[in-house]
Amino acid sequence: MIERGKLAAYLAALLTASWLTAPSWLAAGLGAVLVLCGLEAGRLLRRALLATAAFSGTVSLAYAAYAWWQFHTLPLDWLLTANLRVLLMALLTFLFIARVNLFQALAFSRRLSFLLVLAVSQSLGLRRTLAEFRLGLQSRSPRPAGIKARYRAAAHAAAWLLDRALANAHESAQAMQSRGMFK
Amino acid sequence: MHIPDGFIAPQMYLPLYGLAAGLWAYGAKRVARDLDEATLPWLASLTAASFALSFIALPLPGGTSAHVTGVGLLAASFGIWNAFMAASMVFAIQALLFGDGGVTTLPLNALAMGFAGALAARGLFLAVRPFHAGLALFLAGWIGLFLPALLIALALGAQPLIAHDAAGAPLYFPFGWSVTLPALLIPHALLGLGEGALTVLGGRLIERLRLRYGND
Repeated sequence: MIERGKLAAYLAALLTASWLTAPSWLAAGLGAVLVLCGLEAGRLLRRALLATAAFSGTVSLAYAAYAWWQFHTLPLDWLLTANLRVLLMALLTFLFIARVNLFQALAFSRRLSFLLVLAVSQSLGLRRTLAEFRLGLQSRSPRPAGIKARYRAAAHAAAWLLDRALANAHESAQAMQSRGMFK
Repeated sequence: MHIPDGFIAPQMYLPLYGLAAGLWAYGAKRVARDLDEATLPWLASLTAASFALSFIALPLPGGTSAHVTGVGLLAASFGIWNAFMAASMVFAIQALLFGDGGVTTLPLNALAMGFAGALAARGLFLAVRPFHAGLALFLAGWIGLFLPALLIALALGAQPLIAHDAAGAPLYFPFGWSVTLPALLIPHALLGLGEGALTVLGGRLIERLRLRYGND
């Protein structure tokens, strides 16, 4: 129940932040979220910056260059507003990830919870195996693998993933059936 | 493409959520109707595979790489609704568990990549397969990447029109279509060639696996 409340609060805060267009309100919101982060503020702020830097940085630099080239001025209002909003929303998300157990927050729906648990647990396993495939290709290639070999390896990995997904689905269904899930 | 929260105006993402919610509800029914009681584990496994597909690097000339979306491969192999539901779950997991992408950009990604991309890929695959199976897979992979890029370019480029201040200055994404269309379409037209090649190889391997299991 508490986790569900936190999920609702997070979504409401995100919706509110997305409507804000005044830098002062956005800065105040960012300050408030940093206070909520407590001792984790630095770590979460760093994660939020890293997660958004590539897209926000590219768009901001391109827009600043465009405005300078066209009007010989910098769009400081937009740069401040957009970057504060993006940072505030990303920080909210990382605070949510750090503080809320999504599996418990979605516990109101039994099916959704099962779907999430199964999908996430299998995703992490498949991701680990893919990393092993990559390392396997590197270890088999005395020189860096050519583009053809890398394509073949990528295609095999993709086919293996889907093949594994079919097998996982079958095994999970049997396991759930044997435990009376579908009655 | 992972657009963070804050670049898409609520005037766009809220209606898109409404549209996506309708399609998610219908998609859930379709997946349940087409499959049996194993729907839930099947959807979970396909979601996991779709999530992991995004970690496969697509080799590009010059030693660089881009990441696979796998929408064309999923749609060609497992149908539109399976691909759409799995891709949507992946975007939700990436946003809410890993902070990758955004919650407000989720419906745009789900509709552009998961739905429109899958629909076009499956349609093109079925239309061309009777003539040339390899070409059908290639086109499914290419369109599964290119069409979503076009839709996302249109959505991003519409931001200055739908959300601006009294002086006309943009409040969210700042560039119009004259910038977003070439910026997204030119690289994705080329990246689509790689995705198409991977879809051909991956699709053929899946067919072989199906034949093998079918013969067992």
